Amino acid sequence: MLSGFNTFNTFTLAKLEVGQHFYWHIGNLKVHGQVFLTSWFVIGILVIASLAATKNIQRIPSGIQNFMEYALEFIRDLAKSQLGEKDYRPWVPFIGTLFLFIFVSNWSGALLPWKLLKIPEGELAAPTNDINTTVAFALLTSLAYFYAGFRKRGLGYFKKYVEPTPILLPIAILEDFTKPLSLSFRLFGNILADELVVAVLVLLIPLFIPLPVMALGLFTSAIQALVFATLAAAYIHEAMEGHGGDEHEEHS
Amino acid sequence: MFDFDATLPLMAVQFLLLAVVLNAIFYKPLTKAIEDREDYIRKTENEARDRLSKAESLAKQYEEQLAETRRQSQAIVAAAQAEAQKISAQKIAEAQREAQVKREEAAKEIDQQKQTAMQSLEQQVDALSRQILDKLLVGSA
Repeated sequence: MLSGFNTFNTFTLAKLEVGQHFYWHIGNLKVHGQVFLTSWFVIGILVIASLAATKNIQRIPSGIQNFMEYALEFIRDLAKSQLGEKDYRPWVPFIGTLFLFIFVSNWSGALLPWKLLKIPEGELAAPTNDINTTVAFALLTSLAYFYAGFRKRGLGYFKKYVEPTPILLPIAILEDFTKPLSLSFRLFGNILADELVVAVLVLLIPLFIPLPVMALGLFTSAIQALVFATLAAAYIHEAMEGHGGDEHEEHS
Repeated sequence: MFDFDATLPLMAVQFLLLAVVLNAIFYKPLTKAIEDREDYIRKTENEARDRLSKAESLAKQYEEQLAETRRQSQAIVAAAQAEAQKISAQKIAEAQREAQVKREEAAKEIDQQKQTAMQSLEQQVDALSRQILDKLLVGSA
């Protein structure tokens, strides 16, 4: 729809391609190739940074080790503040990987000129601007909090649907659907919208004017990664603790 | 825009794999490093605190010893002073006694000589008075 602009633009400095994908066919399955290409790039960055940080661990950290320890402490604090001192440890890898992957994805989309790399169809962008990615993460979060709830409280987990009153049962069930929905659409919408705004501004005035919006995009990207990880941790905590703190007293 | 396909499950699997890999190469080693460092710092801090308290108790002990020694030295000085005073008083008394004795001796000698002088004087007075008498008697006779 917006690509109609391109006919007026002889230079084609920027163009918008939404909903066009670079399809790979695996068997009779279709996958979005551009998402995987950029996600492998993101995974590569994370793995290389991790290997560089842990290659030669020193007691007094410096350079990349210091930086990655800072990142790890940030993630641990995030998990600890949501899940509590007692339970946060096993969930650090899940929440941390959510945060790191989304953060690096978003910033790679905001900082790297992916669109200059030509691929046969569609365009490269942050992996998180594809609904498949965000829904995958949101569903994993749902599975994670169900798993956490069942492991911690067994079948007593279902009690949380009728507590404090069975009247709220439909809403409690609805929550299990709205949580992944809101998680995935928040991330997807923010990232896609940011990229679209930047693209539209570049299309109209391709010099300097988009810069403030791009800076805002960096901010939004970081915040969205933080929000996703924090909410995932909060949902896991809620599943483990039930509503309110009453379960806590029963156990102790 | 909303076309779901095999990207979704593959991305989920890929994400889980990434979490497992990062757990092995990032979270575990660095968490261990951080906790080891915390242990090391706690241990070293405890050691330092122990040493500090030990040093403080040693310093206190030394101060006590110092005070004790100072008290002893003061006592010794006081004892020596008292002894010296006693000795000097004794010496002074002795000297005075000696002086007294000498003075008495001198007085006695003076008395004796005075008596001898008196005696000789009396003899001379007798002799002279006899001579005077003789001369008078001879003159008148």
